[in-house]
Amino acid sequence: MKEKKNEEEHPSFSMDRAFQRTKILTNHLLQSSPSSPAQIPSLSSNACLDYSPPELSEGYAFDIKEMRQLLDGHHVADRDWLFGMMMQSKLFNPRVRGGKVFVSPDYNQSMEQQREMTWKRIVYLLERGVFKGWLTEKGEEAEMRKFAYFEAVGLFDHSIAIKLGVHFFLWGGAIQFFGTKHHHDKWLRDTENYLIKGCFAMTELGHGSNVRGIETVTTYDSNTGEFVINTPCESAQKYWIGGAANHATHTIVFSQLNINGTNQGVHAFIAQIRDAVGNVCPNIRIADCGHKIGLNGVDNGRIWFDNVRVPRENLLNSVADVSADGKYLSSIKDPDQRFAAFLAPLTAGRVNIAVSAVYQSKVGLAIAIRYALTRRAFSVKPNEPEVLLLDYPSHQRRLVPLLAKTYAMSFAANYLKMLYVKRTPQSNKTIHVVSSSFKAVFTWNNMQILQECREACGGQGLKTENRVGHLKGEHDVQSTFEGDNNILMQQVSKALFAEYVAAQKKNKAFKGLGLEHMNKPCPVIPSQLTSATLRCSQFQMDALCLRERDLLKCFVLDVSQHQAKGESKEHAFIMSYQLAEDLSRAFSDRAIFQKFVEAEATLAAGSLKDVLGMLRSLYALICIEDVAFLRYGYLSVDNAAAVRREITKVCSELRPHALALVSSFGIPDAFLSPVAFNWIDANSWSSVQH
Amino acid sequence: MISRLLELFLAYEEDPNVKLVILKGKGRAFCAGGDVAALVRDIRGDDWRAGAKFFLKEFTLNYLMAAYSKPQVSILNGIVMGGGAGASVHGRFRVATENSVFAMPETALGLFPDVGASYFLSRLPGFFGEYVGLTGSRLDGAEMLACGLATHFVPSAKLAMLEAALCIVDSSDPVIISSIIDQYCEQPSLKEQSVYKRLDVIDRCFSQKTVEEIISALERELVHKMDVWISTTIQTLKKASPTSLKISLRSIREGRLQGVGQCLVREYRMVCHVMRGEVSKDFFEGCRAILLDKDKNPKWEPSKLELVTDSRVDRYFSKMNTEEWEDLKLPTRSKHKLPLYAIAKL
Repeated sequence: MKEKKNEEEHPSFSMDRAFQRTKILTNHLLQSSPSSPAQIPSLSSNACLDYSPPELSEGYAFDIKEMRQLLDGHHVADRDWLFGMMMQSKLFNPRVRGGKVFVSPDYNQSMEQQREMTWKRIVYLLERGVFKGWLTEKGEEAEMRKFAYFEAVGLFDHSIAIKLGVHFFLWGGAIQFFGTKHHHDKWLRDTENYLIKGCFAMTELGHGSNVRGIETVTTYDSNTGEFVINTPCESAQKYWIGGAANHATHTIVFSQLNINGTNQGVHAFIAQIRDAVGNVCPNIRIADCGHKIGLNGVDNGRIWFDNVRVPRENLLNSVADVSADGKYLSSIKDPDQRFAAFLAPLTAGRVNIAVSAVYQSKVGLAIAIRYALTRRAFSVKPNEPEVLLLDYPSHQRRLVPLLAKTYAMSFAANYLKMLYVKRTPQSNKTIHVVSSSFKAVFTWNNMQILQECREACGGQGLKTENRVGHLKGEHDVQSTFEGDNNILMQQVSKALFAEYVAAQKKNKAFKGLGLEHMNKPCPVIPSQLTSATLRCSQFQMDALCLRERDLLKCFVLDVSQHQAKGESKEHAFIMSYQLAEDLSRAFSDRAIFQKFVEAEATLAAGSLKDVLGMLRSLYALICIEDVAFLRYGYLSVDNAAAVRREITKVCSELRPHALALVSSFGIPDAFLSPVAFNWIDANSWSSVQH
Repeated sequence: MISRLLELFLAYEEDPNVKLVILKGKGRAFCAGGDVAALVRDIRGDDWRAGAKFFLKEFTLNYLMAAYSKPQVSILNGIVMGGGAGASVHGRFRVATENSVFAMPETALGLFPDVGASYFLSRLPGFFGEYVGLTGSRLDGAEMLACGLATHFVPSAKLAMLEAALCIVDSSDPVIISSIIDQYCEQPSLKEQSVYKRLDVIDRCFSQKTVEEIISALERELVHKMDVWISTTIQTLKKASPTSLKISLRSIREGRLQGVGQCLVREYRMVCHVMRGEVSKDFFEGCRAILLDKDKNPKWEPSKLELVTDSRVDRYFSKMNTEEWEDLKLPTRSKHKLPLYAIAKL
């Protein structure tokens, strides 16, 4: 017995398997009998396995602060201030697990409780001045700070981000963009201080992405100088209106405007839906959308308007107005352009969603990779310690490429934000195309990344407190709201089509959207790809450009063949959907890659740049691994195999940097989850007692 | 003394007969902090590295205590200031009494709350840590227990019995040790005027992003009604070194998101900059005015908060660009299984 006791104290000493099993079983037995209280206190020090923080064994080959600055891009200290603000308040539900504090909403609360908590958190942040200037301050600095705060809040919870997004970016944004000075004066400051709570009623039961088809109708009564808003049928009820079910006092209503029997198309109006104490206004009916698969802290509602009367000045009249005597006036004669002008604010939402998706991926990866650096499974040989999950090449192959993808998305997201903040009337088209593409691709990627991370955490990933699994439900909606991803990607292909046709017609060079490569000769892929070639950014760019160029040509040809058979252009687009999908994917991959290359180019030679170079190669290679390269014959079967081989090599080279790469995300420990830290202590019997 | 404590703690960790470590003061204080006056004399001999060497040892001890594999019970029967806080708060158990007086008075001296204070202050409830760290406000035993700086409150009359009970414990299990201290424990009540009853004001004001905004938030509180405590707080902040206030606030804010090791590494960089005096000599001026000449009238340079720019503050957080200087290297603790409480205790 004496000898065995010594071995217990030094588990690294040789110990045969049978004995180890006996020991484990003994521990299980002892621990499963709470009847002997004398045993209980000593259990935590009696774990069969030791948790060893990954920081003890993994080094940092580069400065993670510098990397974080590169990823976050701006307002790093402001983000941290806001993180601290959330961590220090009981409202953000701090819980101690495994000796660490974690903040996360209690998703076990009822829908109504979650909504109430979300609202209280907003009030807390409001009182501490977090939203100061969100609508009343102009300029790049103010807009970027707003982005930073919004991203930090979104790391705590999606519901609070969406409640803020609806109030500030949709309601507030509509007033800023569609309204004129008297609207700004009347509403913006009160909105910023939450004296009123806004929502945004665009989607209807019968029409979502096709906003031009909405059925709500507004007429003008020149006798009283009022607009009359009406929901004519059930399919015209406003649906999914965030804030409508409980809190909002005012809404933007999107409606057809009918003046003297002529439909002037979709316009936006302000209507009050509740009074200051929360009673629903006359002629308004509101119902709840009910419990959802996520985002239950947001009170989505449905609204019916029963000939609701609003004063004439409630028409947001930046592009069109109705005179007191009932004449329709618009500076934009073309209804298509008028409609496009209306949709401009939705771009801000898309930028936010794209960026938010990247941060959720960061949370998922930081958790899954930290777990993979502390969790062991199976010994390769008897009597050897079990192998760390991340030391399995297969596990690396699952997670490390997603890390590369997330880095790529970060740089692309920073570019998108800058594009938006520096917007001009000339850049509207680019913003529309790039935000549509990035929103769709990032949110799809995010769902894929979260699912992989959930599985990589095994059963622990299923616990809500560990976040990764739960985040899937919370962020699933991102592929649908502010434009269905599939529709957005079709718009990307259509825009590329238009660029191609215009360049051909006017016999002019391609300019913009990164299509300049189309003006150069077609790149050639070497017949035998070596490791050096595969890691060369020029080759990587060539491969991605080749695919985009060829698919664009194919798509245009396919559409024109349909048209040659007498079909309309719209029908031709519908029929060529497969090429359209592949093309929009090719555009997105290339555009994202380009931003990665540009970010890397800003760095001086050093370890940071070296690691980023590996990540850039990995991102390119997983894009080139896409089936499209074989489907359309851009890669030979041999070359495709070489790409695949190289991916495993880069993954193993990046393995030593895994911890540093997720630490560089700059997400405070409290915003990750127990499984990312000491998951043994977090689950110990003594933690049950507390 | 720090060297001696280091030796003892390292030896006790290896010694199987030692189950826990009791740390107490000799005389009226637990520990009133490092001998700053002696330090300043040393540095005046133009050797800031001597100062750096002192802090290197002290911070190493702080880390050892934070990551110690056996429970440390500190009996805080008297003054606990600065370095005294560092030698106790990182340990597992801190026993306050009716004689306890806690303070981190560094900003009045031109220094900043060091010894890992950016770790433990930032983990106090709400923004109480910012308040305690920036103002140097004194806390009594009841307040220490309420905010978590102390884990237990035992009347001084019972200390002898507590010690005797602890000396015969044959276990390093914190649950067992805690239950022993519990037997002598009392629940003190906060005095009527306790700052801990002003947490709402403290949270509103000390959560602000900058020192300037904290002061104006406090001044806004005074607009509606006079409040002696708030005006005293404002006065205290206005008397402290502007540079100290700014680097202290930033240190606490960064510390909130860092582990105790990272906090000590960062604080070591900061303290070396302070000792070297290239950015500001406030530390020497503070020591002169408070400890040496005792005229209590330090002339800070820069003299106003708005003159302490972000880039000045940044310099305290950068590596020293001088030869033979290295970041603080923390002793590895992987050999001993880190106890639960080594990661976070407050």
